[in-house]
Amino acid sequence: MNLISGIEISASALAAQKTRLDIVAQNIANAQTTRTAKGGPYQRQVVSFETELIRNQGMAGGGLQSIRVAQVTTDRSPGQQVYNPQHPDASADGLVTMPNVNLSQEMVDLITASRTYEANLSVVKNARQMAARTLEIGK
Amino acid sequence: MLPVGSVNPLLSGASPLTKVDSPLLPKVPAGLLGSTGAAPTEGFGKMLDGLVASVDAKQAEAQTLTRRVLLGESDQLHQSVIAMQEAGVSFSLMVEVRNKLIESYQELMRMQV
Repeated sequence: MNLISGIEISASALAAQKTRLDIVAQNIANAQTTRTAKGGPYQRQVVSFETELIRNQGMAGGGLQSIRVAQVTTDRSPGQQVYNPQHPDASADGLVTMPNVNLSQEMVDLITASRTYEANLSVVKNARQMAARTLEIGK
Repeated sequence: MLPVGSVNPLLSGASPLTKVDSPLLPKVPAGLLGSTGAAPTEGFGKMLDGLVASVDAKQAEAQTLTRRVLLGESDQLHQSVIAMQEAGVSFSLMVEVRNKLIESYQELMRMQV
């Protein structure tokens, strides 16, 4: 029994945007991290999405496509060099390589993820309202 | 003007009863208690049973997801809320079917004979 159609797609989109939000949080939190397990400064992570075909969709939409996180890739662009000889991770000439995280870019990403999440939430809400209104026919 | 759809089968179904030359007495018990009488009742009851079972399954699923979120095993909060909403909608569908059933039963009981 699947009364609220299309809700799986919205649920997958919510999960995907949540992953994106987590990655943005990780980027912002590590904006000053100069030492990682792999060595070198933290490198910004980027999320990319891909579509996924919903299989057991019996009735209407045979080819409905939901979304999932395809991969989390690393931004390889070089980080800023800051002169700070006191820093423990400074090189011999006193330069520290900072992470390549751009805070304003991360904030834009954060807002985009948040707004997309909200949009998908309203789809869920509307789908539920449609089902509830349909049941009101009998009253 | 076309007749209303739900009235049409009633008219066609009533036609064997209006036949005067047909033997009325042996035919009616065979129709009501025999093959056509018992099987659909069981079928509808079974279907209603299935409906209740699937609504119950949805409630249980929502409960499991919510418990997992509350215990910190999962961070998929939206799945738990969506499952709760689905359970709510399917429950109100079940209530609606039950209301209709009771209504039609009472309608039959009110019938003048």
